[in-house]
Amino acid sequence: MRNLWLLLQRNAFFLAFIALLAVSLSVLFQHNGAARSTWFSRTGSVHSKVEQQRHQWSNYLRLAEQNTSLAEENAELRARLLSMEMETGWEEDTLRGWTVHSGMLVKGPDGAPLSLSLATPGQDKAIEAGMGVLAGGAAFGTVEEVGEAHSRILTLLHGAASWSCRIRRGGPVVSLGWDGVDFERLQLVDVPRHIQAQRGDSIFTSGYDLRFPPDILMGTVLESRRTSGADFISISVKPAVDFLSVRHLEFIQHRSDSERVALAAPPEP
Amino acid sequence: MMVLRILLLVALQALLLRDISPLGEWTQPQWALWALLLIPPQSGAFVKLLGGFAMGVFLDIALGTYGQHMLAGTMLGGLMPALHNLFAPREGYEVTDRPILRDMGSSWLLGFTLASALVYHLVLMVVTEWYWHLMPAAILPTLTSACFTTVCCMVTHMIVYSPERRKTGS
Repeated sequence: MRNLWLLLQRNAFFLAFIALLAVSLSVLFQHNGAARSTWFSRTGSVHSKVEQQRHQWSNYLRLAEQNTSLAEENAELRARLLSMEMETGWEEDTLRGWTVHSGMLVKGPDGAPLSLSLATPGQDKAIEAGMGVLAGGAAFGTVEEVGEAHSRILTLLHGAASWSCRIRRGGPVVSLGWDGVDFERLQLVDVPRHIQAQRGDSIFTSGYDLRFPPDILMGTVLESRRTSGADFISISVKPAVDFLSVRHLEFIQHRSDSERVALAAPPEP
Repeated sequence: MMVLRILLLVALQALLLRDISPLGEWTQPQWALWALLLIPPQSGAFVKLLGGFAMGVFLDIALGTYGQHMLAGTMLGGLMPALHNLFAPREGYEVTDRPILRDMGSSWLLGFTLASALVYHLVLMVVTEWYWHLMPAAILPTLTSACFTTVCCMVTHMIVYSPERRKTGS
């Protein structure tokens, strides 16, 4: 300890010089767009590789746990299947045709209000901006930007995004957002006060935003608060996805997505 | 005293002398540098380092450049002890030596001012241009600006520490 102190004392000037340079550089990076973008482009690829490697190890270590969970789910489904009696054969509904690509989350939301997530694959597996993203069958977010092998995901945990949803199946359509405070609480905004919502009610996608099919689970109502005199009620929603532990993603796209988007776009003046 | 001198020159540069640039980008002087160059050579290395950093902070606040002058000032402050050693007379500095014409002579003053101005302007060029491909075009204006800063510092020096004024005063 004494030797360390002596070493620090001997190099105090050099250390102070480096510290002041670091302070200056951090101020420069914060305020100079060119410097900041160079810094992030240099460090971003390294960071992405490190995160990918870490996730690989983490996934390997979680294999046993995932196996158990899959086996339990399998058993439950088999039990349900055995107790059912099929009356007709399966028929493919071409009107509801959605294609699904599997993917992996490389970097999840970190709790910051405007944080974005990173996933594989990208353009190499025909992922496109605007596709819906599911995790464990529940809504996770949408593809915002696509690179060669990665895609950037705008998750439900993004303070600037809002999502069209329904309270219960076939219920009223409202807008779901996040206030950026608690990542276990999303908010239904501008809900008229005549709408009834009880704790435990499920929130589903409405399908109106064209990213998700209708009736995909988004979360469950935690509490509904009515302020006296206000025209709207505030409803907190617990997201169906556990954003801290999610690994596997599914990218979904309607087979006639381009046609739907073109028709839904406002006409040019 | 040093801090007051830096503050005064930063204020002068920001308010009055900022636009004195007869040949545009070829002659952009850094007047505040003169305050840093007046730190005596025998002062501690930390004084020089903190002086450079403080000058950069004040300049950044006054000119709204956020970090550019801070980095250049810190770099110059950190290199000043080495520059003082480089320009030291054979017998070393006297305790009473001040970095003025009467004590150190014209060649020392000119050489030291030019070296310091070059360091400062080159660092400033790197952080201003930032991309490598922009630097070749900026290097010549930077060198001429460093020379112009040296001329400005020498002129200021001659005005403030003129021998005639000293005689009149005594």
